[in-house]
Amino acid sequence: MAVETEYVPDADKIMNVSLGPQHPGSGHFRIKLWLDGDYVVRAEPDPGYVHRGEEKMAEYRNYIQNVPHLERPVILDSCGILFPYALGVDELMGNKVPPRGQYLSVIMAELNRIISHMYFLGIYGVFMGHTTMITWAMGDREMFIDIAERIGGARVTFAYIIPGGVRNDMPDGLKERALKTCDWFDKRIQEYEKIFLYNPLFEGRTRKVGILSRDDAIRLGTTGTVLRASGVNSDIRKDEPYSVYQDFDFNVPVSNDGDSWARLWVAIEEMKESLKILRQAFTKIPDGPVRLKLGPQPRVPAGEVYTRTEAARGEMSYHIVSDGTPRPYRLKIGVPSFKNMRVLPHLLKGCHIAYSANLLEFEFLAGRIG
Amino acid sequence: MVAVQKSGTFQFLVGKVNEVLQDAIGAPIRYLANWGRLYSLWPVHLETACCSVEVGAAAGSRFDMERFGALEAFGSLRQCDLLIVMGTVTRKLAPRLKLIYDQMAEPKWVIAMGACAITGGLYFDSYNVLRGIDDIIPVDVFVPGCPPRAEALLQGLVLLQEKIRKSQSLRGV
Repeated sequence: MAVETEYVPDADKIMNVSLGPQHPGSGHFRIKLWLDGDYVVRAEPDPGYVHRGEEKMAEYRNYIQNVPHLERPVILDSCGILFPYALGVDELMGNKVPPRGQYLSVIMAELNRIISHMYFLGIYGVFMGHTTMITWAMGDREMFIDIAERIGGARVTFAYIIPGGVRNDMPDGLKERALKTCDWFDKRIQEYEKIFLYNPLFEGRTRKVGILSRDDAIRLGTTGTVLRASGVNSDIRKDEPYSVYQDFDFNVPVSNDGDSWARLWVAIEEMKESLKILRQAFTKIPDGPVRLKLGPQPRVPAGEVYTRTEAARGEMSYHIVSDGTPRPYRLKIGVPSFKNMRVLPHLLKGCHIAYSANLLEFEFLAGRIG
Repeated sequence: MVAVQKSGTFQFLVGKVNEVLQDAIGAPIRYLANWGRLYSLWPVHLETACCSVEVGAAAGSRFDMERFGALEAFGSLRQCDLLIVMGTVTRKLAPRLKLIYDQMAEPKWVIAMGACAITGGLYFDSYNVLRGIDDIIPVDVFVPGCPPRAEALLQGLVLLQEKIRKSQSLRGV
């Protein structure tokens, strides 16, 4: 449990520990920890191990060439991260994406949300030393990868949502299979809740750990599951519906606890909502073309645009500045995990070192800091 | 005595005995050592970039890397003998990668996974990305793909095991 009393650390006894970049569970970033005995006095995240210069690279590739490398910062959620880019370029060019294309992008974004949250569950299990959790989550994740693979043609990197629509149509007969998988997963989630979420041992390790209050969550600028687990009802799919999200009926799960357990609960509830959206999308999907013919090197009129969407980890945003040439003049990527990382020094302070790994759970996607 | 040592017959005899001994004792020991090593590979947990997702999938229950004799990456660096470089290595990570490789106890092997680890891949013209990790550490198996499928990683693992099986040195290189 987090320490609740205020105490003054003894300056002589403080030990400096580096958690990562090679650490089981650190991912690709490092946290510098100042420890007094077992307690964290100060923590300082050190990102940038995956800084690949994406923004600079985007400036010397054209709008279509930018698609593959822009989805790699968050490879688990490759459609979720490409969504705002495609929306932004469409807005600049004044494209009207065919409805079937919009539905297919929503389907892929929601499939990716489930895939990403399942990976999150697996990694959460690793941090807790809970092997059942990783094997279950990784195994069940493959069912959704199968569907996404039938649509997008790859296991993780689809380059599917592109300016002007989506790359290709989905194959025949996929709808029935997808609906069957959704039904199966609905039942499976109940088992997850029984075995992990409401397991007394599990609750003992995650409840009241790393509590992030509502005010702090807003002040520190968190997004996504972290923000919603702290009691803020904020989801861009509801607040400013983009694409065809206004056609679907779904809820935004919000928890008031703000602890580690609540963040997992929000992720599991969100998967249920994603299943709802998937079912509606697969039944309501209209016929027709899936994309506009833009040519290999579309000309984008001069102007600038800021688009944001709700990716699996939170608010994903792009600021695209175009000067009328085939290449963007400037492209700024706003990734959710980088916004959430600011919370770490705040949460880790005064925390037991054994629980620190636990708190990394919402930071596991550090790759997006490129 | 000196005269005898210099004579060709003696040297020939020593060489012959060595040869016989190597075949009779060395070969079975080598075989045993290699056999033991190739089914107990323990990877280092170093997620350099996005290919780690497919390593996660390969260690997961559908592909199950463990049935080929490679454990999940949970151990300490000193116990590990396999370094899977999962994707892009940036300039900031490169010195750490070298340090991690140097800290591992021998015998040790390296799999370069993904196009970025092999040549820089999609990021070949980025200012912060290393164009292939074989500039800083020796690589045993290259697994191409962006990212490689989990099956491709397993194939790379099997290729590495073949290499270990044929290893002629007890140091495993």
